[in-house]
Amino acid sequence: MTINDLLFYLSAFLFCCGLLIVFTKKNAIMVLMGIELMLNAANLNLVVFNHQQSGLDGQLTALFVILVAVCEAAVGIAIVLRVYQYYQTAVPDQVSELKEHD
Amino acid sequence: MSVADAIASFSASLPRVLPEVVLAASSCVTLLLGLFLKKNKSAVLAIFSIAVFLVAIGLLVATWPQQPVSLFAGMFRADDFSAFFRLLFLTGGALTICIALQKESSTEYYLFIQAVVAGACWLAMSMHFVAVLVSLELVSIGSYILAGFAFNKASSEGSLKYFLMGSVATACLIYGASLLYGITGTFDFSSQQLADALLQSQTGFMLIAAFLILAAILFKLTAFPFHLWAPDVYQSAPTPVVAFISVVPKLAGLVVFIKLVLAFNLFGQAPINWKSVISALALLSILVGNLSALAQTNPKRMLAYSSIAQAGFLLVGVTTLDLAGIHATMFYAVAFLLMNVLVFTALHFFEKWKSLPAFTNFSGLGRVAFVPALGLVIGLVALTGLPPTAGFTAKLFVFSALWGSWTDSGQFIVLLLFVTGLLNTIVALYFYLKIPYYLFLKATPPGTASIKITFTGNLLLLILVIAIVWLFLNPGLLMGWINRITFVL
Repeated sequence: MTINDLLFYLSAFLFCCGLLIVFTKKNAIMVLMGIELMLNAANLNLVVFNHQQSGLDGQLTALFVILVAVCEAAVGIAIVLRVYQYYQTAVPDQVSELKEHD
Repeated sequence: MSVADAIASFSASLPRVLPEVVLAASSCVTLLLGLFLKKNKSAVLAIFSIAVFLVAIGLLVATWPQQPVSLFAGMFRADDFSAFFRLLFLTGGALTICIALQKESSTEYYLFIQAVVAGACWLAMSMHFVAVLVSLELVSIGSYILAGFAFNKASSEGSLKYFLMGSVATACLIYGASLLYGITGTFDFSSQQLADALLQSQTGFMLIAAFLILAAILFKLTAFPFHLWAPDVYQSAPTPVVAFISVVPKLAGLVVFIKLVLAFNLFGQAPINWKSVISALALLSILVGNLSALAQTNPKRMLAYSSIAQAGFLLVGVTTLDLAGIHATMFYAVAFLLMNVLVFTALHFFEKWKSLPAFTNFSGLGRVAFVPALGLVIGLVALTGLPPTAGFTAKLFVFSALWGSWTDSGQFIVLLLFVTGLLNTIVALYFYLKIPYYLFLKATPPGTASIKITFTGNLLLLILVIAIVWLFLNPGLLMGWINRITFVL
């Protein structure tokens, strides 16, 4: 097993951890951390796969992903703060004014 | 590629994306205007934004018809297919601003509308996963913020749910794209390299990558099984924003969905049968949307489920994976834009007048405010898919494309989709016509004061009603125009 394979498994593991956090953790901030983990798993993939290719496509894409993640986190935390002002909590399960008839 | 080549390619590409350049510049101008204007800020900014959209539409129409050109070193491609959808996004943006003036934080409101439309336009031209990622984020982040623009408790909740589910979807898209890069060594999904590598690759990896990527796109389309955010966001966001979110990001998702599915389909040589996968998605979207809509008491929540069902109908044309089906989908997209904006414009009028949490609040209002009530009825009849509206014609086109696909392929699921789609019109009739029933057949409660609707409000409603009826009477003109658009991936 080469180092690239190991890194690929690590990234898959990170992605699954992130997804698990998103689905199990209650707090919106923890969910945001899970999302960051998923994005970084993708970054790891991009950099590792770039080793097997010519060019710098993968690494440059990783830079784009980092930029996009920053913008998203900024907006996300602002939204969580707004919700906290109204509900005094950042737990999405307790933020449920909207009616459910599903 | 040397720096000089890159600059040459960049300056050669700019004239083909003038509408987007105009939108980017106008976003900055909007911010500055918002800082310096004191009086009538909202009205001035609204007129400015509409003018910008009209200029962008003019610039786009001036390049029609065009030869497909690859832009920015293969990141984007300008062709008639993407130009058609860019035209729809720009129109959608202009119509949204016509619905109502935003009172609170108006600078940011108009800024984000312009930014999201620009993002949707870029998305329609994307040919590269990095381009898809960046333009999709421009669309999504703007929509998350716009969803909170009612500035109340419910709206912040809708915004949070939209954001959390949306960013998980984006993370899945990025991970899927990274896997696809590992398999194929390219991000360009129209390239021969991608097709060759996918044909030789292991099916499992390719399926995981394709599933993760399409999940994010289906989220934008509000199609089953990624529709869970829609009811909360639609119920809590301001009505003009709902009209916007239900049209622009959705159709932007549709364009990318068409391109990606055609890329993964590999001209029918793919290891899985995409035709049946999309048929199943469309079938479930229609069923889940329509059946959940039956139980709703809040009109906006009901329209959210209707929007999920409409996503299913938009996918019906895509199932054929050929030009005829895509043409039918394009016609459906035009009709969908018109009828959705019409319904939400009329709904916004009633909402401003009385707050409307339930259908019963509509009792007898049709006699007091005839034009908005007529607009609402025509819009809902069009969404159901009955004559004399464009909704009927659009459904006729997509289902005849689907029938052609069934006679060609003979797959059972295609026939099932055909039958379910037609039967669902009866289910849809029941919940869509609840509002007209209350509007016209119930007695007006005593003490209902009459209200004067402004001339411009009436005008917008009448234009939309006339457009919808005209498309029913004379679909040949638009269809003839669409039929001249060729599309190759």
